[in-house]
Amino acid sequence: MSRNVLDSGGCGDASEGGRGDYKDIYELLAELCKHLAGPSENHREILRHVTQYISNCPTALGSTLPFDETSILTKITHHLDSSAAKSVTSNLCSAGSQFGATGSDCAHSAGETSSAINNSALFLKFHEQLKAALPDEHQRTALLTFLYFMSDSKYSTDNGHNVGNVKSHRSQLMASTNSAFQSIRSHLLHKTSSQQQPQHSILPVNNRARNEESVKPMVSGRSAFSRMTPENDPTGGNCGVIHGVNFPSLHADGSKSLDLQNNVNDDIVQNIIYVFTGIQGKYLKKDVISGRFKLDSKVKSLNVVQAGMLLRLSELGYYHDLVQSYTDSKSGLCPLGLMGQGFVSALKKELTRYYGMVATLQEQLNRQRDHEHNTILRGNSIIPMRHERLTLMKILVWSVDALKRLQWLATIAEACQEKKGGALASTVHSFLNNGNPTVKSLVRELLLAICGPLYQMLSHWLLEGEICDPHGEFFIECLAEVGPDRLWHDKYRVRIAMLPNFMSTEMAHKILVTGKSINFLCEICEDKRPVKGRDELRLCIEENADHIFSRVADTKLHSTIDAIYLNTSKRVLDIVMGPHKLLEHLQAMRRYLLLGQGDFIGILMENLKCELDKPAKELYSYDLSSIMDAAIRSTNAQYDDPEILNHLDVRLLTPCDGDIGWDILSLQYTVRGPLATMLEPCMGIYQILFKPLWRMKHMEFVLSSKIWKDQKCNAKPLRAMGSELNQVLYRLHLLTSEMIHFIHQMQYYILFEVIECSWAELQDRVQSAKALDDILDAHDEFLNAIKCGAFLDSNSGQLCQNMENVYDGIIRLELWQNKFYEICFKELSARKEYENHICISEEAGEFGVTAERQLERDQERKIFEQIIGSYHKSLDNICADYEKAVRCFLLALNSHNDHNLQLFGIRLDFNEYYKKRDQRLCVPLTFEHMRMSIMFNGNKSLAGSRYSVVN
Amino acid sequence: MAYYQRTYVLCYFCQIVNNKFAAKSENNKVCKCYQNIKKLLSIKFKNFIRSQSELRRKKFVCLIYKCKFYVKVESLIIEAMPSEIITLQLGQCGNQIGFEFWKRLCLEHGISPSGVLEDFATDGVDRKDVFFYQADDDHYIPRAVLLDLEPRVIHSIMSSPYAKLYNPENVYLSKHGGGAGNNWASGYSQGEKLQEEVFDIIDREADGSDSLEGFVLCHSIAGGTGSGMGSYIMERLSDRFPKKLIQTYSVFPNQDEISDVVVQPYNSLLTLRRLTSCADCVVVLDNTALNRIATDRLHIQNPSFTQINTLVSTIMSVSTTTLRYPSYMNNNLIGLTAPLIPTPQLHFLMTGYTPLTTDNDQTVNVRKTTVLDVMRRLLQPKNMMVSTGPDKTNHHCYISILNIIQGEVDPTQVHKSLQRIRERKLAQFIPWGPASIQVALSRSSPYVQSSHRVSGLMLANHTSICSLFERALGQYDKLKKRGAFLDQFRREDIFKDDLSELDDSRDVVDCLVQEYEAATQSNYLQWSAKKGQEEAH
Ligand SMILES: Nc1nc2c(ncn2[C@@H]2O[C@H](COP(=O)(O)OP(=O)(O)OP(=O)(O)O)[C@@H](O)[C@H]2O)c(=O)[nH]1
Ligand SMILES: [Mg+2]
Repeated sequence: MSRNVLDSGGCGDASEGGRGDYKDIYELLAELCKHLAGPSENHREILRHVTQYISNCPTALGSTLPFDETSILTKITHHLDSSAAKSVTSNLCSAGSQFGATGSDCAHSAGETSSAINNSALFLKFHEQLKAALPDEHQRTALLTFLYFMSDSKYSTDNGHNVGNVKSHRSQLMASTNSAFQSIRSHLLHKTSSQQQPQHSILPVNNRARNEESVKPMVSGRSAFSRMTPENDPTGGNCGVIHGVNFPSLHADGSKSLDLQNNVNDDIVQNIIYVFTGIQGKYLKKDVISGRFKLDSKVKSLNVVQAGMLLRLSELGYYHDLVQSYTDSKSGLCPLGLMGQGFVSALKKELTRYYGMVATLQEQLNRQRDHEHNTILRGNSIIPMRHERLTLMKILVWSVDALKRLQWLATIAEACQEKKGGALASTVHSFLNNGNPTVKSLVRELLLAICGPLYQMLSHWLLEGEICDPHGEFFIECLAEVGPDRLWHDKYRVRIAMLPNFMSTEMAHKILVTGKSINFLCEICEDKRPVKGRDELRLCIEENADHIFSRVADTKLHSTIDAIYLNTSKRVLDIVMGPHKLLEHLQAMRRYLLLGQGDFIGILMENLKCELDKPAKELYSYDLSSIMDAAIRSTNAQYDDPEILNHLDVRLLTPCDGDIGWDILSLQYTVRGPLATMLEPCMGIYQILFKPLWRMKHMEFVLSSKIWKDQKCNAKPLRAMGSELNQVLYRLHLLTSEMIHFIHQMQYYILFEVIECSWAELQDRVQSAKALDDILDAHDEFLNAIKCGAFLDSNSGQLCQNMENVYDGIIRLELWQNKFYEICFKELSARKEYENHICISEEAGEFGVTAERQLERDQERKIFEQIIGSYHKSLDNICADYEKAVRCFLLALNSHNDHNLQLFGIRLDFNEYYKKRDQRLCVPLTFEHMRMSIMFNGNKSLAGSRYSVVN
Repeated sequence: MAYYQRTYVLCYFCQIVNNKFAAKSENNKVCKCYQNIKKLLSIKFKNFIRSQSELRRKKFVCLIYKCKFYVKVESLIIEAMPSEIITLQLGQCGNQIGFEFWKRLCLEHGISPSGVLEDFATDGVDRKDVFFYQADDDHYIPRAVLLDLEPRVIHSIMSSPYAKLYNPENVYLSKHGGGAGNNWASGYSQGEKLQEEVFDIIDREADGSDSLEGFVLCHSIAGGTGSGMGSYIMERLSDRFPKKLIQTYSVFPNQDEISDVVVQPYNSLLTLRRLTSCADCVVVLDNTALNRIATDRLHIQNPSFTQINTLVSTIMSVSTTTLRYPSYMNNNLIGLTAPLIPTPQLHFLMTGYTPLTTDNDQTVNVRKTTVLDVMRRLLQPKNMMVSTGPDKTNHHCYISILNIIQGEVDPTQVHKSLQRIRERKLAQFIPWGPASIQVALSRSSPYVQSSHRVSGLMLANHTSICSLFERALGQYDKLKKRGAFLDQFRREDIFKDDLSELDDSRDVVDCLVQEYEAATQSNYLQWSAKKGQEEAH
């Protein structure tokens, strides 16, 4: 209250503590007015003005006074001189003397000196006394000014017509008057409180001491309370008191029995007030176990009603204790961390406020008692104090709100026990959803207090990317042991347990990404520019603190966080797509690791073929690297950015026993710096994908560049043996074309329908990406789609196995064909030699060969025919196995639950060649089929059909 | 070691080897080094290393060891330029379609008629080295050999703006200059006589290639030079380059017009024999169908050879587009032909192209063409560049199909189109093995504006191609029965003793027809066994 402003000079405590002395002031004022205005009715009018003044404008106590001390002195003396005859003047003097030295002998002289003594001289004498008593010149001047204006004739006119004038003057004078009054009051109170000390000895001494103790927190509590509730009428306290004083009390001086009863009542009230702050008294004792208050069994004086009320009231004390215990860090119950401290201090604030309210009660009790003592002591009641007695009933009414509040605090605090950070905030926030507006605002205040540190962490994170979180309260954590290469993916994460429930996961994610992005830019990309407009952002975060609890995430705070997120993300995107060429690198990986650059892969395979046929242990990666370089130089890969080609290298996996080069070769795209941070987790997948793609390409290479080409080239020279070989050869040709068909369809499907189509999608998503994660997610999906399409996902194990069987057939055929042609050519050359021999012998005139030689030749020929026969058989075996493998593959495709794979199965058997040869391929045919049968026949038939499919 | 480091070592290596290129490349950026090396390796440096003795090569290795890096010298020497193709063009027809073909390739690769790379085409993603070789930085020369026995056509080429394009050493004109007079036998025996000179050129060209994949022969089968000399050269090629593929673009004579070449049936049959036994893949260009398409579809009255040759050059260029614009698959000749040709004999391919428009005929329709439209139209006989005549028994079928689709293609559309075609059974396939429409989505040249959103070329192996051979057989039989015009053949060496060559050829072609017929049946494999047994007896 404004009084504090004035009293801040040092007598604040006294004036506060002496609230009960207002009565005296009023009496004095009334007396003063009487003196000044004379005994006429007029003095009531003046008194009314004065009190109104004071009550209306206690704030107007300006520090500037219209006159300084000397000039007001001269004015007064002049006034006294000029109106010596008037009684008012003498009254002024007497008033002055009364103020100047209260209770001193001057009071006696007031009456006597009224006649002939030089008024002004007298006044000056008083002034000297005043000077001695009141060393502060300002206060003195204020006092004098007040007196001067009071004594001015204008105020003391008989008819009161000048009231209007008074009012007009008021505006300028009010300030000084009030200031004067205040000064007087404070001064006087100071004095009286020391004088009244002995009177208080009636109270039990021990209580007194305690009272003194408890007053202090009460006082500070009170002021805190007043600060917390600015909406309260600042004059409320004063007004109430003064109004109370205004009406003559109807309360009779009362009989002795009544007094006694009052005393007992007061005693009970005093006790209950103690209990309110957790102090046990005469009537109530604390239960050691439950901490609740119970009636002291020794006290018999209470009636049933009182006992009940006491017990009910004692609840307040219990909850007070409870709440207090949560604020005590030693109790081990209070929440932890910075946000916990915020919570505790909010609790303490609430307690202080509560103490303030208890203090008011105490004050009221004191006043009530003082009044009664005064009446007893003085015996004459000048203005009987009309005050409703402080009764248990009244306190009960009063306590309802406070109890509610304390109960809520206790419940909340209990729920928050040993919690910290976001969890604490979540817990408190869960109370926010309350219909009671008071509770709602209480919880809101608590939340604000808790979230203070959170905002700080938040803005620090959003703007600096740093986490200052010694107690692990923030909902984002940084794993210190994770290196910079995993900064983007693993280093930071949302700590779900610490995520306040008013923060959506989406929001949390955005916040995570924002700070992470800053770190990424700073540490990995070495872009240390600060966030744009960070001061505005910080301001916004601080100003709109409570937006964060908003149920709908559309407040200014949310949109600001959104904006920061988008801004930072944009920066990351710009730098990643620009100088760091993310898209180009992805493209390069598709081209080199996923075999998009067909000519390069073709040449690489062609050039590596000799090396890779060697046992794995004989390979050296530097040999292969230079071969790869050659492949780059001789294909369109040479036009690629050298910066990108630098990332490409050959890698040899650790060989197992019996591995050949083909098994261990892998292309590798080395990622470094920001690229590594972004893509490192995917590189493993690329390795996984590369292997089957490379293998498939290898199969195609074997089929076309070896098997088919050999057939082509050998067909012409072997035409001479067509009659013997044709049957086998046709079988061979047809099998080869079957294989080629398979591998080409397969390649087309994986390379084009899977990779190319997914790539197109990825590109679209990269174009529309708003944040780096959009790209990385799209990229993950891209890889995943390929993984599924290339039968590498978990539910395609069967397919993979079948495909291996198909490949097996191809490898077997290659080996078979090599040996077969070897034998054919051996036979061919033997025949040629034989013919030659005949020719030569004919030329030599020997005409032919010996029978022996002919027999030998015939024998050889027969053996050859037998060999061819056995080769034909083994070829038939290969054929049968291959066809079985393909059919199994088709069956697995048909019964796969990926629709695309079923369609691929249909495509593989475009002209229904396999279907016609295998009834099983007709039956479960499509997924629709299966679904239909599930729908109509239930799961049993599915199991059945699956069974038939597998077998 | 990163790529650029390795390249840098090479650069350093080059400096040591050849001072001429030492110019401050040490200070150069790695990219620059790379460019230098590319140049070096392309021609001069490679030749330089090749010319060195084994000892000096070893020395280089040591040098590189000194640099603490190990680079395989072999990998420097074997700078494999993959699937290079040498084009041989013979006779009037061969040279004329060849001319159109090169014109087209130059346009697509941004090479000027004089062989200089245009400024706008320097950073292409195309592969020029399949059909061209690089003389120096920006000068490209076709790997083409131009052969004719009469000077007219070649003269007109050499006086055209494209004269400077060709390597003059690769142009061979018979000194005799009289042509083959539409006589296969004359062309054949002249080829035999001139083989040394001709194969000098071919060998030189083959040596100049790093990894020659095969030859492409352009010729007609009805004339004298293209058919006769072409036959001879094919025979020799398959002897001398047994590991190389021989592909031909063979122009079949127009059946609709009465030819002034009376011995055309003899010529055709004799050439067909070589095409059957020596070539690995024959793309049949039927003048009958080409003329019909030009008149009926393009509304050209009396189409000129140039107009027809534009069609031919389109087919030739699109069918090689997967080689020249590499992507996932079909990036070399083997990859392109292997899936089309199941058994060695069945290697005659038909082509189809859509949409067919001339410059003044651009309907709105063309813009809306979808992949399905293209694929469906490609299966219609009227779009085929081969006139097979009506299939009365409706038993012919596709052995294999490859559709090369260009333009704005939504990848998912391809799959849907194939499903539709399958469901509606728009194409009939062989019953004896798996077969389907294979699709290659290919990029097209950025320098040639196409008025079509989507266009497609079909390379198809269809059994009905045998009707062409049957027709040739029929005409031959008619002529042979009369014994007509055989004198001019007897004059040549090959027919000096007897005419058995003609009968043999007839047998081979007849056998081919039978094989195609057999391929329509599901017991194709058994047929082949039977054939083997028959031959044995
Ligand atoms: N499509 C097409 N066909 C041609 C062209 N020139 C000739 N022909 C066809 O080729 C056959 C004639 O063969 P030519 O190429 O003229 O004969 P040649 O190979 O030059 O043999 P000679 O002239 O006898 O030495 C005829 O059937 C013509 O229809 C051409 O430019 N385009
Ligand atoms: Mg000619």
